[in-house]
Amino acid sequence: MSAAPNRRPFDVGRAAYLTLNALLLAFLLLPIAIVLVFALNPTPYISFPPVGVSLRWFEKFFGSAEFMNALWLSLWVASVVLVLSIVIGAACALALARGNLPGRAVMTAFFMSPLMVPAILTGLALFQAYLLSGIGRPVWGLIAAHTLVAVPYVIRTTLAVLHNFDRRIEEAAAVLGASPTRVFFEVTLPLIRPGVFAGGVFAFIVSFDQFPVSLFLVVPKGETLPVVLFNYMKFDLDGAIAAASMVSILLALSVVLVLERLIGLKAYVKL
Amino acid sequence: MTNAARPTPIAWLIAPAGLLFVLFFVLPFAVMTAMSFYSGNPVTNPNAFLTTRHYERFIFDTAGIFHEALWSTLRIGLITTVISLLIGYPLAHWMARMQSRLGHALVLMAVIAPMLTGIVVRTFAWMTILQDKGVINTTLMQWGLIEKPLPLMYNEFGTIVALVHIYVPFMVLTLTGVIGRIDERLEQAARSLGAGRLRAFVEVTLPLSLPGILAGSLLVFALSISAYVTPSLMGGTDVLTLPMLIAQQVGTSFNPNFAGALGVILLLVSLAIVVAYNRILARLAGGQGMA
Repeated sequence: MSAAPNRRPFDVGRAAYLTLNALLLAFLLLPIAIVLVFALNPTPYISFPPVGVSLRWFEKFFGSAEFMNALWLSLWVASVVLVLSIVIGAACALALARGNLPGRAVMTAFFMSPLMVPAILTGLALFQAYLLSGIGRPVWGLIAAHTLVAVPYVIRTTLAVLHNFDRRIEEAAAVLGASPTRVFFEVTLPLIRPGVFAGGVFAFIVSFDQFPVSLFLVVPKGETLPVVLFNYMKFDLDGAIAAASMVSILLALSVVLVLERLIGLKAYVKL
Repeated sequence: MTNAARPTPIAWLIAPAGLLFVLFFVLPFAVMTAMSFYSGNPVTNPNAFLTTRHYERFIFDTAGIFHEALWSTLRIGLITTVISLLIGYPLAHWMARMQSRLGHALVLMAVIAPMLTGIVVRTFAWMTILQDKGVINTTLMQWGLIEKPLPLMYNEFGTIVALVHIYVPFMVLTLTGVIGRIDERLEQAARSLGAGRLRAFVEVTLPLSLPGILAGSLLVFALSISAYVTPSLMGGTDVLTLPMLIAQQVGTSFNPNFAGALGVILLLVSLAIVVAYNRILARLAGGQGMA
């Protein structure tokens, strides 16, 4: 609240503090910027400094059947996960917030737990379960696995919105004669929509960038983009990876902007 | 109002999520635990028997790699946590004390943006920076500061650098919330009583943010001991962690039973951390829910 009572001409401590923080921000952001440099650099291997600008790596990425199949599979899986996790997650959040369920706190913690358990173990456990039940490794198994780790995000953003809005709005509608169903569809649902939608966008990213859960659940020739990139990187480090990375980063950045517009980033800070 | 203990019809909406979690979360982990006590696949192989030999194999470690893998997993996790704390604290403090809302939003976005970039992509970024022909080595050689490339990658050092970069945002976000809740006037009071800025920070703000430090550290530790992509790409043949061992058992050795036992061990370690983390957060929030 106080308006900086100690303004001095030059403050060494303050300058050092700001410089340190600027350096730390650079540490966070520069590696991502460097990927762009390599995506545009035409040399056949990763080399520094860059010698020019070309789109050959983007051409290689978009021209390779292996990368394209993986990209489409990832987009397809992420889209289905988006829809499933919105429906399942929003319903679950409503039940937790409005269902008068006993043991609410424990249940909420339970539905958040896929975020707490190491993701590679979730993948391993599902792999074992699919192996034992003999269903193999179908795409729907992968989608179910991604949905499991994406749903908590939707629950979290929806709960955040549900906690923030005034319950008396719903009660007012009921007092004015609206049936519970009508209150739900005409008051509650429109109010939670931003939270649900933002959680869904987050779910999309979680699925699209998912690696540890996918690792044991994909079949050869049916691998998602992160898995293909990982396998490629074990042997080759060229600009195609950088171009692929740029495509994912641009996707993520646009998502950040959409999120900020929708409900502000505050809802994600509650870790 | 109705009896608070009776669920409303809306409670039924929990069913789809409940079904998903039972079928694809509870059951698989039960299967994994059961598999870790079998000699083979009990469904396809009628001769599979109950055994504790996978755990014995880990405990007695005649090959001499399992204890080392567990130890390097914990060591990498610990170093990553300490460095993330040292890097994350100033950023979190800056964000929590920032007056300008626009500035706050921009820094927040800068912290969150890397989180929305996939782990594989961020690891790739560090490979281009740290490899022999990478950004740092080429630059240093061009300036004539070094003769041959420094070994920055395919070792524990490179692994930790990339892990820190990946998990610092989690530390910052946990700490910012805690530091933001500390009343700034406490620090101002200490200063008006004659304490220097540094002393006011060390004796007032730092002790009050201790729960946040603990919570953030546990989170980063839990995340980094279960990392797979970064150690296997950045570590080369130098680094072998528990998650890498698990992937090896599934992929190359095809021993899902032993992989299950390793999984149970890693799960127990991380569950212990998560329980501690939740305790601290619950105490912080004064009984507020996890969400």
